Amino acid sequence: MNTARAELRKLLTLPSLRRTALLTWAATVLLTYAYASAESHGEPLGDDAALAPLGYTQAGFLVLGVLAATSEYQEGDQIRTTVLAMPRRLPLQVAKALALAALTLPVAAATAATSTLPADGATWTPAATAYLTLTTVLAAAVATVVRSAVPAAILLLGLYFVAGPLLRAGSTASAAYLPDTAALDPSHGAVATIAWTLAALTLAALTFRYRDA
Amino acid sequence: MVNLVRAELRKLLSLPTAWVGLVLGTLVAPVIVLLNAPYTRRAIADGTLTDLSDLGLRDLGIGLIGPMVLGVIVVSSEYTSTARDAPGARQLTATLIAVPHRLRLLGAKTTALVLVVAAQAAVTTAATLALTQLLHGAHAPLPAPARIAAAILYWTLTALLAYAITLITRNGIVPLTLLIINSSVVSVSYLLTKVTDLASYLPDIVGAQMFIRGTDFPVEVPPMTAGLVMTAWIVALLAVGAVLFQRRDA
Repeated sequence: MNTARAELRKLLTLPSLRRTALLTWAATVLLTYAYASAESHGEPLGDDAALAPLGYTQAGFLVLGVLAATSEYQEGDQIRTTVLAMPRRLPLQVAKALALAALTLPVAAATAATSTLPADGATWTPAATAYLTLTTVLAAAVATVVRSAVPAAILLLGLYFVAGPLLRAGSTASAAYLPDTAALDPSHGAVATIAWTLAALTLAALTFRYRDA
Repeated sequence: MVNLVRAELRKLLSLPTAWVGLVLGTLVAPVIVLLNAPYTRRAIADGTLTDLSDLGLRDLGIGLIGPMVLGVIVVSSEYTSTARDAPGARQLTATLIAVPHRLRLLGAKTTALVLVVAAQAAVTTAATLALTQLLHGAHAPLPAPARIAAAILYWTLTALLAYAITLITRNGIVPLTLLIINSSVVSVSYLLTKVTDLASYLPDIVGAQMFIRGTDFPVEVPPMTAGLVMTAWIVALLAVGAVLFQRRDA
């Protein structure tokens, strides 16, 4: 419990996380407005307007996860102090994931509500909140393995915004297996999102446990 | 100056992340052409794909992640910490000791980036168009040389855009996120063009009109003007980046 509280305090005091959360939310407001005004002009932009803005601003949540995880490895190497204070790595990794999820949940809920409520998609709000939170945890797990912010961001953004759409366009069958399908289609890809997040967390926990910090 | 450019080239090409950008950016577009070949053939046979003048060139857009990564990494690598035990030790300090004249340094960096990206763009454009000719040659004529050159220019300008934004933010995450989201299948800039026609003059939208003839642009800009508008964006952002780089403490 103390570990989780300490991890949460560490995350809360990172200015980069605050900025990312604020920018993500602002971008969602802007895109929601864009979708709404396009619809009122009579030329809707294709996708479901309740979730489409989140398809873009989930990038903010990926960055949030990456920054939260790599902050330990940036200059000064805070991770050494962390493992000195908390030598048992697996409980530490669990506490980290829980703290990040707790921090992300309100941001995800606010962002999801911003996008879904104006488009009469209130039923999607809980699903979108859960998706964004899981995506953040997944990004943090990947970044824990990569340990460096820019390469981790390139990897995740490339997968979510270049490879994912291409795979879905190439074969519709692959959609159910991709972690980001649920962003636009929660009923279709939810299982994949959960499975990918758990897999990434397991991989992160194992590398964190067995690799030199 | 030649020595400076050579040094910057060597620095850039010794970064593992730069090679990720080089390999990804060069391979993605030709691989997509190859993978999509059956669908494209069927679409041509069915007559659903009628406008064939953009075939091949249109697929180049997806490889832009390469120049973006290169443009960002050439600056952000200077600012990441180099030693685990010395927080605040960054490569930029050593770079500035070697080349105290900041604008000269920036000039060399820009030249190195342009050389690498132009070479990458030339290779990937040649590969993509050659594959398109091989697969659909009977239906798609080879684009005019001016359009091919414009595509290479677009790649180079995109790298410079990423580079200029990173000079301003001094952090790789912000420009990467912005630019990669914007290079996804339906870009944010494209969405904005539905809201206001002014968005047609955003660099990525207007720049694509240099070599794409498609009709889904809300405002048709002639290729020459498109090139000039995109170049104006890059010059303006680079100027801001250069002033900040010269005036700010490293």
